[in-house]
Amino acid sequence: MIEIQRARIDIKAVVSSVRRDDAGAIVVFLGSVRSDPEVQALDYEVYKPMALRTLTELVERAKEKFGALEMSIVHRVGRVPVGGDSVVLACAAAHRSEAFAACAWAMDEVKRIVPIWKTEAGPRTPRSRRGRKVP
Amino acid sequence: MQVQVRLFATYREIVGAGQLAWTLRDGTTVGQLVEAVLAKYPRLVGHGNHMLLAVNHEVVRPDSVLMEGDEVALLPPVSGGA
Repeated sequence: MIEIQRARIDIKAVVSSVRRDDAGAIVVFLGSVRSDPEVQALDYEVYKPMALRTLTELVERAKEKFGALEMSIVHRVGRVPVGGDSVVLACAAAHRSEAFAACAWAMDEVKRIVPIWKTEAGPRTPRSRRGRKVP
Repeated sequence: MQVQVRLFATYREIVGAGQLAWTLRDGTTVGQLVEAVLAKYPRLVGHGNHMLLAVNHEVVRPDSVLMEGDEVALLPPVSGGA
């Protein structure tokens, strides 16, 4: 499952999408918007066709590199409030070491190469200009 | 020939549009197109060193030659995740 969506992410559905009988470990990562006095939400912008292509390629690389059996990544676009999950990544492997390693590597890659950008939306941020870029 | 230039995040805000139609001579490279865009929108110049370039959704080098109808994306440093 590779998706970019406005709607809240159904975590159970993401986990179910990687479950299989020969997988002894499933690692799930949730990237959540954390509270900060200046942040009420994060606004995500995406170059969707390239992001979907990049995500698909990095899942294939994770399978080759770590022996992951299945991997799903769902990222939100638009506004995600504090406490909301902006990305969910689930990885299934035969054993936990491969599942943890593949999950950590893939999430680093998501932040490094997938064309998604976020800006902070705070209490004093006008809707027309929703704040500085977040690294 | 004509190509579409896509701009995102900071670059879109600077230029004031997310998509531009750009007319080029045959044989123009991505790097030459970027130079032309920076010349027209000088506020982008300071961002040039960090710009990632993609053609038809694939990252390319500046010496890649463009073709009619290509979609060229000028990508700021990405910042996905939470």
